[in-house]
Amino acid sequence: MDIYFAQAVINGISIGFGYALVAIGFTLIFGVLNAVNFAHGEIYTLGAFAALVLILMFAPPIVALILLVAIVGLLLGWGLERIAFRPFRRSRDEATLKSRAMREATLMSSLAMGIIAREALTLYFGGEAQSIPPDYLLNQPIALGELTVANGDLVIFASAIAMLAFLQVLLYRTNAGREIRAVADDFLGALYVGVDANKVIVRTFMIGSAFGAIAGLLVGLYYGQIFPFMGFTPMLKAFIAMLMGGLNNILGAVVCALIIGLSESLLANAFPSYQQWVEVVPHFYLLLTLLFFPSGLFGKRSERM
Amino acid sequence: MARPAIWTGALLALVLLAIPGGLLALDQGYLFRLAHLSMIFIILSASLNLVSGTAGLLSLAQAAFYGIGAYVAAIASTQFGLPFLVTLPAAMLFSGAFAFLTGIPAIRLVRIFFTVATLSIGEIITLAITNWYDVTRGPLGIRGISPIEIFGIDLSSRLATYYVIAVVMLASLWMLHRITHSYYGNALRALREDDQSAEAMGINANLLKIQAFAIAGAFAGLSGALLAHSTRYISPDMFRLPESILVLTMVVVGGLGSLPGAIIGALIMILLPELGREVGELRMILVGIVLFIAIVAMPRGLFSETAAIAFVRRWFGCAWRPGRDGKAGIGWK
Repeated sequence: MDIYFAQAVINGISIGFGYALVAIGFTLIFGVLNAVNFAHGEIYTLGAFAALVLILMFAPPIVALILLVAIVGLLLGWGLERIAFRPFRRSRDEATLKSRAMREATLMSSLAMGIIAREALTLYFGGEAQSIPPDYLLNQPIALGELTVANGDLVIFASAIAMLAFLQVLLYRTNAGREIRAVADDFLGALYVGVDANKVIVRTFMIGSAFGAIAGLLVGLYYGQIFPFMGFTPMLKAFIAMLMGGLNNILGAVVCALIIGLSESLLANAFPSYQQWVEVVPHFYLLLTLLFFPSGLFGKRSERM
Repeated sequence: MARPAIWTGALLALVLLAIPGGLLALDQGYLFRLAHLSMIFIILSASLNLVSGTAGLLSLAQAAFYGIGAYVAAIASTQFGLPFLVTLPAAMLFSGAFAFLTGIPAIRLVRIFFTVATLSIGEIITLAITNWYDVTRGPLGIRGISPIEIFGIDLSSRLATYYVIAVVMLASLWMLHRITHSYYGNALRALREDDQSAEAMGINANLLKIQAFAIAGAFAGLSGALLAHSTRYISPDMFRLPESILVLTMVVVGGLGSLPGAIIGALIMILLPELGREVGELRMILVGIVLFIAIVAMPRGLFSETAAIAFVRRWFGCAWRPGRDGKAGIGWK
């Protein structure tokens, strides 16, 4: 196999796992509420900026840093749910809860919260990229024969696997997970059988946002540069991966994130002079998926959303 | 005089006499530019109101169609030297046709999936504008777009430009008003509330959705052409997602589905940041805050749809057409 091609495959997988980290939290949140959280990209950005502030203030060891950023993510998720999603769930009427107006309202309120967070960061830190101190960078090259991977690739890969494993255990082996699945299946039904649905939704938001913040931290340390607008593109890609994967299929979203990352890297490798155009590809994937696989590549539900 | 005639006359006098008179008295180029921009955004938000308010298809691609119009006008004027009277309809035609073509696949999607698809359509358009360097000059933008000129008469002075934009805006608003407040508009409202029952009642839902999307795209292109000729410089950054969100905020603040609301919303979102002149960086954060407050605190908007319909019926005489027996019949006057 051509060495450049093999390296492009490795880079693609690395990019794809970066998107997958975002997609896992995004899909978890969408699954339980059936509402798009357009502020997820800003949770990712805020996770990266929280890491920068923590590094500059305390210089904690990397494991402590990940834990602290996860706590920041938990708090952000709690706040976001309270501010942008809870106010629209006052009604207990099934038609209202599933109505278009309600989904669009949460879509727009999370979009608004995302804008506010992003612009506040720009005002405080400025729009230009901030550099991560070199001690914390996760881009030490590791040679594998003629190919190279960065240690960050391995960390991101391991984190994605750890998140998936954690969710697998949480969702299918614990009572809390059973509650989450119950709410995801039917909000009112879960309420009627005594599940505190609001608490479950907050919990899911907190877990998903912690994953999002950790994703921002790891990708920020990997590239060494963070800026207020860094969350937008990964969020779009995570979103596309989620839709391609079949909405509330987390594993499907991860696979599709890898497909997106691989096709970006391989196309940029094959057509070096058209690198800028590669960004268009995921959007075409989205349109093709919506048209030809309305329930996603791995999904099975066919409810009209 | 009949009430509708008085009101229409008063509105025309306000837009064509009072405001330009006041602007001339204040004599500040900055205020003229603000007036131009407000009117351009009024067309844009009124067009988004048709598709997202009346027809209920939440679209995040409106700024992209606005961009297509601006770039078609700019390229036609700088590369081919075409006059304003050609570039304006050309921009409208191109963006309308593009909206029609992208609408055909997207329209099959429902609710948030449609929104997501328009987000992707908008991203594809802005990426194409940014990267298609040979045609659009990429991130540099296009400079030196010809000023407004009709039949060789130079209309590039700020007052003449005001009048050209004002006339185009009034004509567009009149057309959008006739589309929205009509039997056709009611059909759009029916499919917004429930497209399956609308179809069962004999409304061709998909056709109407595509038409609404294409008409809105055409008017967005028209406002883009006005922008290109009045500012004479455009760059891809003017047409990205934040602009789409800004236009959506205008419509939401004014009231989804309400044409007067869309006008009020556009005025608020353009003029509010200008109150404190130094708030250039605060503009987007203001959009976020206003959008959030509007959705949480007043989901129907400042001038809700029902109030707007009652308003045009009462003050502009768009009541139900009388039937043969003199009572209310079917359709609008």
